[in-house]
Amino acid sequence: MSDKTTQKDSVNLSRRSLLTKGAAAGGALVAGAVSARAASPDPLITEIQDWNRYLGDGVDAKPYGVPSQFESNVVRRDVAWLTADPKSSVNFTPLHELDGIITPNGLCFERHHGGIAEINPADHRLMINGLVDTPLVFTLEDLKRFPRENRVYFLECAANSGMEWRGAQLNGCQFTHGMVHNVMYTGVPLKHILNEAGVKPEGKWILPEGADAAAMTRSIPLEKAMDDCMIAFKMNGEALRPEQGYPVRLVVPGWEGNMWIKWLRRIEIGDEPWHQREETSKYTDLLADGTARRFTWEMDVKSVITNPSPQAPITHGRGATVLTGLAWSGFGKIARVDVSIDGGRNWETARIDGPSLSKSVHRFYYDFDWDGSELFLQSRAIDEMGNVQPTKNELRAARGVNSIYHNNSIQTWQIKPDGSAENVEIS
Amino acid sequence: MLKSLKVGLFAGALATATSLAGNALAQDAAAGEKVFKKCAACHAVGEGAKNKVGPQLNNVIGRTAGGVEGYKYSKPMIEAGGGGLIWEAETLAGYLANPRKFMKGTKMSFAGLKKEDDLANVIAYLATFSEGAEPAAEEPKAEETEQKSETPSGNSSVAAAPATLAKDAEVPSHGIFHLGRVALEEEITAWDIDVRPDGAGLPKGKGTVAQGDEIFAEQCAVCHGDFGEGKDRWPVLAGGQDTLTKERPEKTVGSYWPYLSTVYDYVRRTMPFGNARSLSDDEVYALTAYILYLNDVVTDEEFELSDSNFNEVRLPNEANFIVDNRTEETHYADKKEPCMKDCIAEPAKVTMRAAVLDVTPDSEEGEGGGSIE
Repeated sequence: MSDKTTQKDSVNLSRRSLLTKGAAAGGALVAGAVSARAASPDPLITEIQDWNRYLGDGVDAKPYGVPSQFESNVVRRDVAWLTADPKSSVNFTPLHELDGIITPNGLCFERHHGGIAEINPADHRLMINGLVDTPLVFTLEDLKRFPRENRVYFLECAANSGMEWRGAQLNGCQFTHGMVHNVMYTGVPLKHILNEAGVKPEGKWILPEGADAAAMTRSIPLEKAMDDCMIAFKMNGEALRPEQGYPVRLVVPGWEGNMWIKWLRRIEIGDEPWHQREETSKYTDLLADGTARRFTWEMDVKSVITNPSPQAPITHGRGATVLTGLAWSGFGKIARVDVSIDGGRNWETARIDGPSLSKSVHRFYYDFDWDGSELFLQSRAIDEMGNVQPTKNELRAARGVNSIYHNNSIQTWQIKPDGSAENVEIS
Repeated sequence: MLKSLKVGLFAGALATATSLAGNALAQDAAAGEKVFKKCAACHAVGEGAKNKVGPQLNNVIGRTAGGVEGYKYSKPMIEAGGGGLIWEAETLAGYLANPRKFMKGTKMSFAGLKKEDDLANVIAYLATFSEGAEPAAEEPKAEETEQKSETPSGNSSVAAAPATLAKDAEVPSHGIFHLGRVALEEEITAWDIDVRPDGAGLPKGKGTVAQGDEIFAEQCAVCHGDFGEGKDRWPVLAGGQDTLTKERPEKTVGSYWPYLSTVYDYVRRTMPFGNARSLSDDEVYALTAYILYLNDVVTDEEFELSDSNFNEVRLPNEANFIVDNRTEETHYADKKEPCMKDCIAEPAKVTMRAAVLDVTPDSEEGEGGGSIE
């Protein structure tokens, strides 16, 4: 037991130490992990362990299950200096701790503009008004009587990677790319709800609105609303988490995260967009010449290597190494992901494993034999529309560095001979 | 028993007042059951009744207002209960006749029962589920009711739960699935407060720069600074003109925002931060005028902004917003097969490191550049 604890602690220590400036240059390899031959028998094998002798907890010890105590490091984290107040702030999904394509509900990044609204579902109402034949009010029970569907979609904040426009800044994919999650939603096609009220011919836009203290609103063209938008009440099989809009949120596949209105309480239909605060003052992309793009809805083709990465260094020696990451596009499926270990000089196509769904993240792997030398890891996604993930310099040449939003450029991780990793930019 | 005695008295008084004295109250309860269908969408009553949209109504007669455990009442309802409001025939009749008039701020979104018969009947019906008050519904005469109500009645569980049968449920005629209900005009007015650049949605009202100055100092300056300069990382509201092409653009109402309607809409819907919807329409006009003044869009302290001159004001940066043309950027427009071998001549060299900036959480304190806004 004590030996096991020691080993665990040393892993944690080395990970933690990597996050500090002083130790970043230090080794990431765990002592002993590289030895090919055991000098003495492993007590974890030769001695009877507590968990092997004594009974554990029975059923119902935790009526709602929680992760193992040894996973306490797997949490969302924020970057305190980014925003003025935690009630209007963001935290980040620990992408480097996850695998597959589904983000567990408790790890989906949070972004609120007025804190988490706490709403008893019995007190929630959804109103449809504006250019409709019959303005309607629905309860949650009403909504659950429409035909349902299940869809897996990524949700990415438009500002994901927004801190990296001017150069490498945050050391970890949780912080550079963690404003994305991927969830299976259960809900009702929005078109059913809108058709129930009957959209008038002059209705061209919708304005969904949240019930939170920010009363979040965005203008969305009716065409999108009638295409693949959903009103969701479940995520990954269970009720939406409060921080994700419980009891009801809008799902706007492939489009900016803040359009997915949480705590959805009203949808107005109009003939023109409303130009709300979150689509004029914010979520518009300032270009180098001083003009700004508005209504930049789709999230572009993008990928990132999640392991190894600064928070998840290589802790073994040379030899068999698993490189993995995520790729996604708001335009459809991912057709291909290429990986480079030499900073983009040469590329090889990675292996995509797991479901390949439109507007969902794809999990890719590149299994290789690390020789222990310095590496510059990059991934490059290509979607089914033929869009290719651009380099940082290509994006900067087109837009400058003041856009904040829609930074989908190729990320570089430097792997050092001790296995540690750092967010760098290269020539 | 004091409470139930009172109920009996009030039931009698109400019956007299509404000229129903001649009707048998038992029949009233039966008629009340039909009236209650209007309530059943939100309220349960009878054996095993649970809180739904509204609280369960067993023993409602004699209950302190806001008194059902586990139900989240409106603040006014809890305060009324704390102030001693008890639901008796008389008080209930007043409430049910016009809920929002009787209690401003109640959560019950019910227009009210306009017919006195309906009122008396539904209360008689509810009384059959209230211990002590129950005999009131069973006995034909008010005098006897008073006597009877003193004897404990333990047979409330015998009353059949009047659950509406599924086949009797009302199905609306609208739509395809016939779900939801028609939104009332008052409900739409309460929520539909958005304002568009063409002025659609602006409420009637007005406010001057000078008035806005005062409100701003009281309500807004704590975060935004006296002159909209922004404290800490709170939004800067004024200044920043000619910075949009600079290294650190300052995006304010004057330098960046395209439309004034957005200011009015946003302040009215969300400000002050943590106390949304607390400003009057006139106050929002005054604050909007003051923000214009801070940005030199208007220069007269006596300037009054109102729904009639709102559309005459234009913000300076309106013309600089363009449509999304990302797909015209070379790296997208080309859609060419990317290079796979020997793409770069020279080996990679590090030009910038995240560790140098040292702004990653868990590292030493530091503040990075840029913002997610």
